[in-house]
Amino acid sequence: MKYFTLKASLLAMAMCWISFSATAQFMVTGKVKDTNDEPLIGVSILVKGTTRGTVSDFDGSFRIEAPGTAASLEFSYTGFRQELQEVSATNNNIEVVMTEDITNLEEIVVTGLASSIKRSNLANAVSTVSSKELTGVTTQQTIDGALYGKLTGVNIVQTTGAPGGGIAMRLRGVSSLTGNNQPLFIIDGVYVSNAEIPSGLRFASGANAGNEEGASNRIADLNPADIESIEVLKGASAAAIYGTRANAGVVIITTKKGASGQTKVSLEQDLGFNSAINLVGRRSFTAEQVEAEFSAAERQKFEAAQAAGKVYDYEKEIYGEKGLISDTRLKVAGGNNKTTFFASGAFRNEDGIIKYTGYDRLTLRLNLSHEISDNLRLTTSTNYVNSYSNRGFTGNENEGGLSYGYNLAFTRDWVDLFPDENGVYPDNPNTAGNPIFVRDKTKNEERINRMIQGIKLDWTALQRDNYALRFALNGGLDFFLNETFVYVPETHQAQRNKDNGFIGAGKNKVYNYNYQAFGVFDYYTGNNISFSTQAGISYLNFERDLVFNKTTQLIPLQTNLTQGGTQEITQRLESEEEFGIVAQEEVNIDDKIILTAGIRLDKSSLNGDPNKYFAFPRASVAVNIANFDFWKINAINQFKLRAAYGQTGNSAAFGSLFTSMTPTNISGTSGFIVNTQQGNPGIEPETSTELEFGADFSMFQSKLGLEITYYQRNVENLLYQRSLPTSSGFTNEIRNDLDLKNNGLEVSLQLNPVRTSKINWTSGVNFWFNRSEITRLGIKGEGDANDIPSFVPPGVAFGLGLGTFYIDEGSPITSLWGSGPVQVGDVEPDFQLGWFNQLTLMKNLDFNFLVHWKQGGDVLNLTRLLTDLGATTPREFGNLEGFIEDASYFRLREIGLFYTIPMGDKFLESIRLGVSGRNLLTLTDYSSYDPEVSTKGGGGLSNSIEVAPFPSAKQAYFHLSLNF
Amino acid sequence: MKYINLSILALLLLAIQACTIDDQADPNGPSINSVLNNASRAELNLLVAGTESAMRVGWDGYVTATGSIARELYLFDADPRNTEDLLGKEGTALDANTFYLTGPYNTRYRVVKNCNLLLGALDNTSSVSEAEKDGYRAFANTIKGLMMFQVLNMLNDNGIRVDVADPKNLGPFVTKAEAFTAIRGILDEGYAQLNGADFAFSLSEGFAGFDSPTTFGEFNRALAAKVALYAGDNAAALTHLNNSFFDLNGDLKTGPKHVFSTSSGDILNPVYKAPGQSGDQIIVHNDYIADAEAGDARLQKFGLRLNPTSQDGLNGTHETRLYGSNVSPIDIIRNEELILIYAEASARTDKVNDALTALNRIRLEHNLNPLQGTPTSAALLDDVLFQRRYSFWSEGQYMFDLRRFGRLNDTFLPIDRPGDIIHTQFPIPLTEGQ
Repeated sequence: MKYFTLKASLLAMAMCWISFSATAQFMVTGKVKDTNDEPLIGVSILVKGTTRGTVSDFDGSFRIEAPGTAASLEFSYTGFRQELQEVSATNNNIEVVMTEDITNLEEIVVTGLASSIKRSNLANAVSTVSSKELTGVTTQQTIDGALYGKLTGVNIVQTTGAPGGGIAMRLRGVSSLTGNNQPLFIIDGVYVSNAEIPSGLRFASGANAGNEEGASNRIADLNPADIESIEVLKGASAAAIYGTRANAGVVIITTKKGASGQTKVSLEQDLGFNSAINLVGRRSFTAEQVEAEFSAAERQKFEAAQAAGKVYDYEKEIYGEKGLISDTRLKVAGGNNKTTFFASGAFRNEDGIIKYTGYDRLTLRLNLSHEISDNLRLTTSTNYVNSYSNRGFTGNENEGGLSYGYNLAFTRDWVDLFPDENGVYPDNPNTAGNPIFVRDKTKNEERINRMIQGIKLDWTALQRDNYALRFALNGGLDFFLNETFVYVPETHQAQRNKDNGFIGAGKNKVYNYNYQAFGVFDYYTGNNISFSTQAGISYLNFERDLVFNKTTQLIPLQTNLTQGGTQEITQRLESEEEFGIVAQEEVNIDDKIILTAGIRLDKSSLNGDPNKYFAFPRASVAVNIANFDFWKINAINQFKLRAAYGQTGNSAAFGSLFTSMTPTNISGTSGFIVNTQQGNPGIEPETSTELEFGADFSMFQSKLGLEITYYQRNVENLLYQRSLPTSSGFTNEIRNDLDLKNNGLEVSLQLNPVRTSKINWTSGVNFWFNRSEITRLGIKGEGDANDIPSFVPPGVAFGLGLGTFYIDEGSPITSLWGSGPVQVGDVEPDFQLGWFNQLTLMKNLDFNFLVHWKQGGDVLNLTRLLTDLGATTPREFGNLEGFIEDASYFRLREIGLFYTIPMGDKFLESIRLGVSGRNLLTLTDYSSYDPEVSTKGGGGLSNSIEVAPFPSAKQAYFHLSLNF
Repeated sequence: MKYINLSILALLLLAIQACTIDDQADPNGPSINSVLNNASRAELNLLVAGTESAMRVGWDGYVTATGSIARELYLFDADPRNTEDLLGKEGTALDANTFYLTGPYNTRYRVVKNCNLLLGALDNTSSVSEAEKDGYRAFANTIKGLMMFQVLNMLNDNGIRVDVADPKNLGPFVTKAEAFTAIRGILDEGYAQLNGADFAFSLSEGFAGFDSPTTFGEFNRALAAKVALYAGDNAAALTHLNNSFFDLNGDLKTGPKHVFSTSSGDILNPVYKAPGQSGDQIIVHNDYIADAEAGDARLQKFGLRLNPTSQDGLNGTHETRLYGSNVSPIDIIRNEELILIYAEASARTDKVNDALTALNRIRLEHNLNPLQGTPTSAALLDDVLFQRRYSFWSEGQYMFDLRRFGRLNDTFLPIDRPGDIIHTQFPIPLTEGQ
């Protein structure tokens, strides 16, 4: 608190000083345009060396009062080079032309919890994806999926190809073994849930755990078209200010806002279809081959089927659908001087490549901003989502007879599985289920009702020429009800005489809220040194109430939970509460040297001592060498060296503190038995310490930009579940005596090779790789005798016999090991490269594409293990050794061609037509559906293990949009 | 202005103060500590029911893993390791980190843990009388002994841990001989505790007739007899039989059982497979059909499939009919086994007539002709093994019988596919860190 009193007295002193200096002022008016003579809206205009600023309005006009008799005005606008204009009491009506800057030096990047900085002064490599890059090329299914290849340092795996989400995003390598390894998502100040909530289908399919169910992740609920920009704080040095939630990075999403002026309406319609990227194929058979593989009796069946023309391709039968996609979006944006709004409504309907699978999503959004008075602004963003998906059954299972791929592996193409004239589906004689029956008669549904509300109050308490004090209060809430419904009829062959049908209905309530209060004090000295001081608090509270109802022994044809002989309820309650105190100081010496230091103190109910604060410091320096006077190379307009250091944390998953009893039952009498997880009541958060160095260049009037970043991130005291000797009665415990090192290189090159009035070509290349190593396993300072031996983390794969992740000191955490144990692979790519191109011809024709090359990184293809066993692997893959495969690929991730027809009409401004596609072309040697795969969901280590996935789809679209 | 700053300051202080986070308790289940500190009668009874319930979990894996190795059966399901590893395809060794070992092993020791929790809770509660405490202890020790015996059968010469009460300080792996001594000691301790004990708990209907201190003692002695026989102490086996529910002329089916129901939270018989089901089926090894004596009533356990089945180069014409429904009980130990223990222990101690009487009782019961004349002890032991093979098919016994008889090898067992090998014991699980 000492800090605060200091600040208050500083403020008081400043006030005294200001009251004595009454100065002359003059008014400046003007207009801002781009090189095409189009007015620029929202350009920020600042009287240099002061806190006075304004923004240009809808026709590019502005008015600003400047002190004294002469001043210089700074014009900055995202995507354009900064302009400096001298003005005076006589030269007070100006016109400013701003030129485009593909290196985005003027972009405003959110770095603190309540402050931002322009990119040219940033000391971290913060990747930003604009709405143009996000959704400009093609229509996106989900936000996270839309990011792949567009920024460095990110690795995305798809946990299911089912429409409606199922994506795991990992920034700069593995940062956690237990928790959600995925970044924190913040949308307009709301900490939103990205939970993957399983539907409980494992209780019917026999899958080992919820993470094998291929559930969707909840970021899928957002409409990508509502997004203005996404900033990704990849490592601890950038994300330290988010403390104990930010170990896996932070993704800050800002949604679109309205601008004052004419109300703009746009109606967009996409039509397209989904189809499988790749089908593996089936083994071809001749009668002789059937007899050799199976038996003479089987040959007879084969020949009979052949004669009747009833040899099928069941893979195509199941995965071969073309799913229709329709995406309709209505956007209305506008406002006046005081109030602006952005309203949108969108409905997406998407059918999957498996019949009856699909996804519907309705999203509504209203973003409002209102100036209550000159120094008080209220901003709210409201988002409602209603979605429905039917996801089918895919992935691992054990004798449930449900997972398509699993059962297709054992299904013989000459067995007729189609229903007879009475609608009776034959049993599959070779495996536990008939996939045609499963497709037609079962359900695996998910319904979401979600409300995300953010509210923000900005109050400029004081504003003088050389200092300003503002306060920012914001709160957010994210509530959703997730309802799952799994139905397997009593007539399913694996249900008969056993469970006799299965209904699993989940009612999962997730309620998160957060608030923060910050004060920011900006102070400019006379000699171009400015200070920005901020301090505040942050609180968040997450609650989950997950109820799963299961009914078996069903009354025939009934799909109601009460209509069955055996009913069971399980409930899981989880709550998390966190509180943090933040302080940060930033010093900017004439845009030449920018220094930042900050600290966050966090406490969490997930820690052993819920009221113990853990400190997460940060410090950074950026030196803009090209801004120094000695810099004479005009071709290089920016040369910046930067270094940043920071720490973040991650608390243990809920429940890690407790050793509890689990209920059981025998013959109607309840009992309990000790849980298999031994809790750790003294657990502390794992921490990640990152040091990042980089150099940024901008050359040839910002036509070429280069960013190079090297980072080393040490994750210390990593929380992990270690298998215990199970003779103890426990199977695992939570420990944190593991250290991990990630380091990597990220290079980003932006080019504008052609910029004429007819052709504008911009191109961006992102190149990155990450390497990891386990640097410690065992209690610090204890000798080898007490060292912890290398181990297989529980639940990450299917045992050493088939290949699994294995924690071994000195090895990468992403390495795959087989019996021995010996290392047999590594899922970490050697490098990745994304190449993004935007080509505008004659102003109206846009051609954009994104290619993505992932080199190296293995996948454990256990689908082939199954098809080998069932003798269905295509013969071309018959001689592959082992199940580890190189999963390099080259993919045309996005491509789009659009033509804008200007109507010049008062009513209809323009029409935009286009065609586009996603994942249209993939070049890979990988033998299965898609090298981007994870059968174990998005958390922990899970990645790149394939078991009978929902095959990934490619999309082709036709677009029409009308702008009014 | 000062006013604003002060008020902000006050607000912040207030927020910081107000935000004391409560200590956490698990909202999802009772804590282990509440059980260990002055447990109520209800909690003790929940531990008993939990123990009885959990004994059943993992039993299917125990049966199919040992049954596959002993060439009793094949498990044809979607996991290739059931027909690869367990049958030693192309010389494959058993893996120390795979479900066929860890499933049964973990579940047995989880029950041991619950028994130890119960024993620990009894030392630290005053909610039940001393006589009642002894009743609980006798139950805990009996079940604990049985669970360790099952694990020892799997790991055999690798030995097992018997001192596992403190997860932080697990006792060492002891040799097979030491383990037998320890298990017999635990069973004897349980038996001794029954003397003068009261049962303040009730067991499921599976223990009907074995749910008083006296009758539960007969169950305890039945287990003691079996363990003694396996340990090679034939005299003790015969002695323990006398105190058990052994009845040479009684119903073969008498004995405590695992029961199953469709009650909420309960489980179904995990070894039951629906007739005709494919993809998850216990297939009878064809030799059982070929080797059967004509008219053996036990052949009813094997159902002829509509279509013979094959997987991974293995074939079978019959599937399991051992259990009639998804809630059929599973015997823990039954009089039939006690009679065969009696026959075996007698034959091994050259009480030929006793052995012959017992064997003929079994043979007649199953519609076979009695043995003629006075066979040698060796011939009688051959028949004991033969009867055990058919009486306890798919009940998790034959692998150990073969091993005890020195026949768990390819001289006595068929090799279905060239290159297959016969495993004789399971490795120590990887997680034990041995």
